[in-house]
Amino acid sequence: MSNANLRKWVGFCFIAIYIFVGIPLWYKLTTVYRAPLPVKYIESLQKNKFQDIHLVIPVYVRSDTYRFPDIHDAIQVQVNHLLNSQEQQIPWSLQVLPYNESMQQANSEDNQFHVVTLVLDDFIGYSSAYDTKETIVYYDDAAVLSNDLPFFVAQTLVEHTFQLEWTHLNKTHESATTNNNVAISYDPNIHLSITLLSGDGNPVAWEIEPTLTDYFSPFRKLLSPLVNLTVDSSIVYHNDLNLHSLNGSYSNVTWFDLSHTIDLSELSSMTYYPEDSALNLAVVFPSASSTPDGLAFINGTRISDGLSALDWNSYLVPQWGVIIINKMPLKPNSVISEDYLEPMMYRFASDIFQLLGLTEGSQDLLSPYITIDSFKRLTTLQNLDKSVETLWSLVKLTQQFQGMSIPHEVSDNVLEALDLRFQIIDLLNDPGKGGDMVWNNALHLSNELVKLCETAFFNGEMVQQNFFPQEHMIAVYLPLLGPISAVMFFGFYNVMKEKDHKNEKNGIEREVTEEKLELKEAQNLHAIDGENEL
Amino acid sequence: MRIAMHLLLLLLYFFLLPFSGANKTDAAHEAIATNTNNWAVLVSTSRFWFNYRHMANVLSMYRTVKRLGIPDSQIILMLSDDVACNSRNLFPGSVFNNKDHAIDLYGDSVEVDYRGYEVTVENFIRLLTDRWTEDHPKSKRLLTDENSNIFIYMTGHGGDDFLKFQDAEEIASEDIADAFQQMYEKKRYNEIFFMIDTCQANTMYSKFYSPNILAVGSSEMDESSYSHHSDVEIGVAVIDRFTYYCLDFLEQIDKNSTLTLQDLFDSFTFERIHSHVGVRTDLFDRDPSEVLITDFFANVQNVIPDNSKPLSISHYHHHKDYIETAQYEHDNNVLDLALEKYHRNITSSKVDKIITHIKSSNVLNVDIDSNEYSFSSFKRSASLVLVHIIAIVFFMLRGNTSKATHDLYTS
Repeated sequence: MSNANLRKWVGFCFIAIYIFVGIPLWYKLTTVYRAPLPVKYIESLQKNKFQDIHLVIPVYVRSDTYRFPDIHDAIQVQVNHLLNSQEQQIPWSLQVLPYNESMQQANSEDNQFHVVTLVLDDFIGYSSAYDTKETIVYYDDAAVLSNDLPFFVAQTLVEHTFQLEWTHLNKTHESATTNNNVAISYDPNIHLSITLLSGDGNPVAWEIEPTLTDYFSPFRKLLSPLVNLTVDSSIVYHNDLNLHSLNGSYSNVTWFDLSHTIDLSELSSMTYYPEDSALNLAVVFPSASSTPDGLAFINGTRISDGLSALDWNSYLVPQWGVIIINKMPLKPNSVISEDYLEPMMYRFASDIFQLLGLTEGSQDLLSPYITIDSFKRLTTLQNLDKSVETLWSLVKLTQQFQGMSIPHEVSDNVLEALDLRFQIIDLLNDPGKGGDMVWNNALHLSNELVKLCETAFFNGEMVQQNFFPQEHMIAVYLPLLGPISAVMFFGFYNVMKEKDHKNEKNGIEREVTEEKLELKEAQNLHAIDGENEL
Repeated sequence: MRIAMHLLLLLLYFFLLPFSGANKTDAAHEAIATNTNNWAVLVSTSRFWFNYRHMANVLSMYRTVKRLGIPDSQIILMLSDDVACNSRNLFPGSVFNNKDHAIDLYGDSVEVDYRGYEVTVENFIRLLTDRWTEDHPKSKRLLTDENSNIFIYMTGHGGDDFLKFQDAEEIASEDIADAFQQMYEKKRYNEIFFMIDTCQANTMYSKFYSPNILAVGSSEMDESSYSHHSDVEIGVAVIDRFTYYCLDFLEQIDKNSTLTLQDLFDSFTFERIHSHVGVRTDLFDRDPSEVLITDFFANVQNVIPDNSKPLSISHYHHHKDYIETAQYEHDNNVLDLALEKYHRNITSSKVDKIITHIKSSNVLNVDIDSNEYSFSSFKRSASLVLVHIIAIVFFMLRGNTSKATHDLYTS
């Protein structure tokens, strides 16, 4: 191979490497990795979040006096009719079933089902049990004769026992996120910080440990299917939440004054706990030096029997917790006894229900078990809603910011979340399942689902400056790739040019030799006679 | 006659006065209810001694929001933190924002969340979007939710649509706007009040597009923001004009102030600031004249009295479809239910005591100093009296009664 050809090949190789290796490599190294997400599916979910959900709650009917072989079917018809009278936002229904032997075995302390008991009495009415998931419907013979009983039962079930579902799942109800301002947003793990505040620096003690063991542990156990409460307690001295500034000025202190005076900044340190949300209980004693006669505006809390009034008032701080303000300051070296703390625990227990969103306002809790049960279902549905919202936000962001990377974990999390969603829906939709265990499990899984979606959304690698001006790109790439490209293309051009030049040279030489040949031929033929012709 | 008219008008005025006051308070009541927790993100993006004033700016803001009750756990402070202990500082460990040296901004507990080289664009964006690695401490995160009002203050050296971070990198206005959008998508704020004091500051909020953001900047495009005054002893300018007059206004605010953000904006004049302060309200739902200063700069927590109903009342359960109402009397407290359930299986001697309805006394039982002992529950007192009698008899047998009882109480 001649020298010129070799140069030509080398030039081609360089260009080929530049184009077929260099450019793809550069492209690969500079593009951000964007894992594929099921965008279409998530979009369809967001448009109709409850498209594949139909919540079914089984209810068992038990009759002690009379035997009604087909009453459950009759009630079912009435229940369906009632439920259909209202447009539902999330479809739900009741499955009315007869109460039988096998049912009796399955219905244990830890796995209760909804049971309706029909009791023959002189009047028609109903009552919900306080400590079980049982609804008792009273009826008389006239009701049986006129065949009104199924309707009574259906009405009791839909409008009273499942009142929360009835109000929350219909179309006219406002979305679940706009709950009252008192309750914190639901979280399965909540930290509870119990603080004793004394305005003075004298040593005080309190029997908080036995109080918590005796009163709070059972309460935590009651709430354990819903929330996992972790508790800590502490004593803070020289802090009366700035109450001393209120005293003396007026005895008629309104909540407005209080909210502008109370300083909770030292207690709002939720950053020290691993849990995402925290509730507080602050038991405050004023300072003896600034308020020796006690706080004038504390007029005490009545107890139901009216015999005595307690020397403290409690205040609810929305989404924060409860403040209990005592009227009198503590004497030095006091020990606050369990008996003194006991009513506070009672007050706090009912307030926690409000802070968790189980009850709204001062509404009474008629049947806590049924309320907790409904709360589980509603929270599960809320969690489903929330997770779809999160996924949709994720999809929207990834589409809006094309420069944002999507790591593989995000797509894994999303797919896992969607699988989990199906599992939960299977639990909710199955009419055969409906004990405590099932709702607990559904709630637990839905909490996991929310967590998975949040993990996907808040993935630490999805952060970068999304905005890159064009000048930045040029400023970065030109100094690096400019010289290489310039050398490459001009070199190649030169090689090509060299070859052409040589060809040209050859052409001229060939012309000259051709002429010479012609001349020779002509001489051989003696075509040239005279010198002048040359 | 005229005097009578005046008197009548005066009476009318006095009659109406309380009503106008009441209206104002009502408006304030409503304003409080919109958010339940306030956060502050305070950023100084400069470093080096000659940028002393930026540090002073941000520390002054820190002091103000802390004074108005935002707890340290809800303040994110980002600053290079290199002037307090700078070798050129004539007052080591102190930072002043005025030549009168009245307030030491670095004096009492300053909790800096991001200092030195941690003040980067990436960290700032991560902070807003809350995208961190798992081991990132909770105290350095912006843990806001849909009820949070966030006050964001930035100061440093900026230009058209950018703000320099420590002479090493810069953040574009688009980046902040996108970060806000990501916060909005995940419902991480209720309202944002964005304040920026740099040159050409108004360009920095020009790209925002997410709702519920109110923004104010110190200077227009192609306009500088100026420092207020220099301190001869410190040798450099100690505060910027915009921040100075802002703080001047905020000093008169306390937690029950009814002044609004419009009052703050009205206090910025060209004569004072020497540049054109810009306010962007188109993304914000409310009128600034309805937004209390304390909605962003303070933490006012609603307090609801909880003594409306007596503790554990018996209640009447209304029966539908029946003429009479049946009365259901039982303890309405969930705690009783919990106790009952808990102790149903565990039959301990404590059960009786716990389930018994409380008739609690008001007395704090033990006061060791005065040797007074009072008993609230009869049962306990009975058993304790028994113990006392035995002990006293025991000590009487030993023959030194007075000392013994004393020992008994003090030990």
